[in-house]
Amino acid sequence: MDYSEATERISRKYAKTGHEIDRQKIEGKLRRLVEEFGVQPAEAERSVTNELNKEFNITPAGVPGTPGPAGGATSEKKIADARPGDWVTIEGKVVSLSAPASPAIAQSGILADESGAIRFVVWAKSNAPKMDEGAWYRLDSAVVDEYKNIPNLKVHSGTTITAIDRTDPLIPAPCAIKDLHPGIGSVRAKVVQEWDTTHDRMLQSGLIGDETGTVKFIIWKEQGKEKLAVGAVYSIFYAQADEFNERLSLNITGATIMQEEGDIATVTGGDTEVRGALVHIAPGSGIIKRCPVPGCNRALSRQNYCPIHEIQPRFEYDLRIKGWLDDGEKTHNILLKRDVVEPLTGMTLDQAKEIAENNPLGMDEVFLQMRDRVLGRYVVCKGREIENRLLVNTCEKMHFESGEHAKLLNRAGGAS
Amino acid sequence: MSSTAPEMGGRRDASFEREPARRVFASELRECRYQFKDGEDEKSPTFVLLPTGERSNRIFISGTLTEKSRQGEQNVFYRGRVIDPTGTFFVMAGSYQPEAMQQLAKIETPAFVSVTGKPNLYQKPDGSYLVSVRVESITVVDKETRDLWVLDTAARTLDRLDALATGTSPDIAKAKEQYPTLDPAVYRKNVFDALAQIKM
Repeated sequence: MDYSEATERISRKYAKTGHEIDRQKIEGKLRRLVEEFGVQPAEAERSVTNELNKEFNITPAGVPGTPGPAGGATSEKKIADARPGDWVTIEGKVVSLSAPASPAIAQSGILADESGAIRFVVWAKSNAPKMDEGAWYRLDSAVVDEYKNIPNLKVHSGTTITAIDRTDPLIPAPCAIKDLHPGIGSVRAKVVQEWDTTHDRMLQSGLIGDETGTVKFIIWKEQGKEKLAVGAVYSIFYAQADEFNERLSLNITGATIMQEEGDIATVTGGDTEVRGALVHIAPGSGIIKRCPVPGCNRALSRQNYCPIHEIQPRFEYDLRIKGWLDDGEKTHNILLKRDVVEPLTGMTLDQAKEIAENNPLGMDEVFLQMRDRVLGRYVVCKGREIENRLLVNTCEKMHFESGEHAKLLNRAGGAS
Repeated sequence: MSSTAPEMGGRRDASFEREPARRVFASELRECRYQFKDGEDEKSPTFVLLPTGERSNRIFISGTLTEKSRQGEQNVFYRGRVIDPTGTFFVMAGSYQPEAMQQLAKIETPAFVSVTGKPNLYQKPDGSYLVSVRVESITVVDKETRDLWVLDTAARTLDRLDALATGTSPDIAKAKEQYPTLDPAVYRKNVFDALAQIKM
């Protein structure tokens, strides 16, 4: 067996850090491990590297404590097959570079091949050569681990990076939004909604959708990043799907974004429809007081207390209904805003205010009157489902349809 | 049709799923003879098994409240009878449901009402069974709401009967075991009769 290639890799790496290596000694060690002790070549290379690290007092960064006996071996893999805990050799294209989050990180970005894409991190300690965006590289002995549930490729001091001569274009296959999972993914989607940004560093957030579903997206402020246009369709390559509280959100800051012609018939995006009975009206429904501090708008307690801005005597009144809408199979938590509450209950904000300020029961009286008008009724609610709650845009009482009646009579009688 | 209850301990999760309110005619609820707990916990939900093969921890009914009576001296509670086209629901609200009791106390009979509540199976001293509904909420509604409920309940009952004929869920298997004499044709006829009673 020929050990010159592995020896070359090892000596090149240490040459970079200024250490002169006796190539014959390395080759001898490799040969001994492989031929005498039956060690896998890749494992032998790692073991020799570790020994040299110790000798030169180099601590490899990002190396997991105890790689399993089998998992310790480096194997050549496609990106889609790389699993946390694997030691891998991967050939891929740097499709995106992002600003390192910490001085300990030299480079971070996304590496892709035909099978998929993965986030990578190059530790500053690894002394690895800088990689260029758009170029192909072979990464020998990198480690896959997991960060926030997302597979992550770590380039440490035991990894060898070699530029390879490939220029073939890489077109990622878009993934249906309902099939997105934590990690790097590409989608073709339409911007359905734009939301208020909740953070100074956020450029834009909102909802994108395709034929299969919708997902929240975020763009963070970075040089050269532009907002997406609501209603436009984009191909978004190599976005990062993060999971939080079992919900995905798509960070497209580092993604390649191309606007597309045409339109997509998106599902939902404000069109979840539930028909059922209102089986519960929750406390906190009716007329409420809101914090007047700009951008706050939180509901105040009875004592006009805002959890953030404390006592707010100059509150603003608002109407809302929180409750459960039940279709017999599933119960949906619903939230109706003032513009939905008014037509449904037939009570305007002004009327509710009048009752709240003059009736001996005050705000409770508004709750009771509204409850008596809607509880136990059949309604159709349309809206957007977010975090297990239906934010209702329209809510109308259902009406008896004789066509439905006739159909059911047939169905019940037809089979007997 | 899904009949899966939340996993044990699921109620403590952030993604709490409220038990849906099943739609069932009085003639079917009356036939319930099997009640069980899902899990060992003291707080585990209790279900009655509907003869058509679905568990029910909660029901939604709409019908005519024909009678109500105040009972008990120390522990006041209210009983009521709610009539649907197929029979009678026995509802009650005690001091553990103060809001429901106040609502029920206020209503003048007869009135169309919608009731959300929890069914419970009791065996009386003479050995006969009674299914009573512990009221969570009761409101006065109009006739149209009652008619909508009859359509809704007819559709849901037919769905269950269809599933019973072909389905293999654990609840269906259990129902076949617990209600061996069940004749789906009877339930289908009840549905037809209920629909025939409401005027267009």
